[in-house]
Amino acid sequence: MSRVTGGRRIVRIGFFGRLREALGDEREVPDERGETVARLRVRLAALHPGAARDLLSPGVRACVADAIVGEDFPVAGQERVEFLPPLSGG
Amino acid sequence: MSVRLSDEPISDEHELSQFRSGLEGEGAIVTFAGVARSRTPGGEAVDRLVLDHHPRLTSRSLDDIAAAARERFDIAALRIVHRRGAVAPGETIVFVAASATHRRAAFEAVDYMMDRLKTDAVFWKREDGPEGSTWIEPREDDLAARARWSEAPCPE
Repeated sequence: MSRVTGGRRIVRIGFFGRLREALGDEREVPDERGETVARLRVRLAALHPGAARDLLSPGVRACVADAIVGEDFPVAGQERVEFLPPLSGG
Repeated sequence: MSVRLSDEPISDEHELSQFRSGLEGEGAIVTFAGVARSRTPGGEAVDRLVLDHHPRLTSRSLDDIAAAARERFDIAALRIVHRRGAVAPGETIVFVAASATHRRAAFEAVDYMMDRLKTDAVFWKREDGPEGSTWIEPREDDLAARARWSEAPCPE
C-alpha cells in the first residue's frame, strides 16, 4: 500500500544496476490513480531524461513484491515498484 | 545444499575443505572457481568488478539454481558461494562444488549450475577501470550455453 506524505500518496521506485547508478537507490513519486507500469515509465522518463532510454526499454523489467509484472500492471496504490535492467549474470 | 552470498573474498581452499568435511563417502568431487579478470575482452585494464544485487531476488535465484541441480543430477551435495559488491582482479567471484558417487553427475551438475548462474543469477555487473566504468550486458555465448539445458520434454 502506498504511504501518505504531506497529504499525498507516495510510491517508492527502486532501481538496480545502471539505473541505480544514474538515479540512486530509490526515488519517490506521487501515486497517480489508475497508473500502469507503462505510464509510470513514461512519467519517470520525463522526470529523468538522462535515464529515459533505459526506463523505456522493454529489456528493463518492472518488479512488484518480488515478482516481475507486465506493462499493464496497475502500480497505483503499490508501496514500491522496482526497475530491473537485463541481468549480467554471475 | 549450501548456498551463500559473500561480501568478503572467497578462499577456494577453505570452501573445498568445508565442502569435503560434510561428505559421506562419495567418490567424486568437482569444483569450479570463476575469477575476476584483470582485463576486459577488449584488452582494457580492469581495476575492479562490481556486482550489484537485489536484497531478496538474488539469493532466491541462487537457491533456485541449486535446487534445480539437485533435482536434475544424481549428486549427493553441492555448494555455491557468490561474491557481491566490489571484487578485485584475481579474486574468486563464484565457487561451485558438487559431489556424487560417480564423476559424470558431478561434472554435469557443476557445468549446469555455472551456465545457469551466468544467465539467471540476479546480478548486475560493472567493470571499473582507468578508462571509466562499463555495465556488462547479457552475452550471446552465455545465453547459448544456458540453452543447452532443456527444461522440459518437448510436447508430443
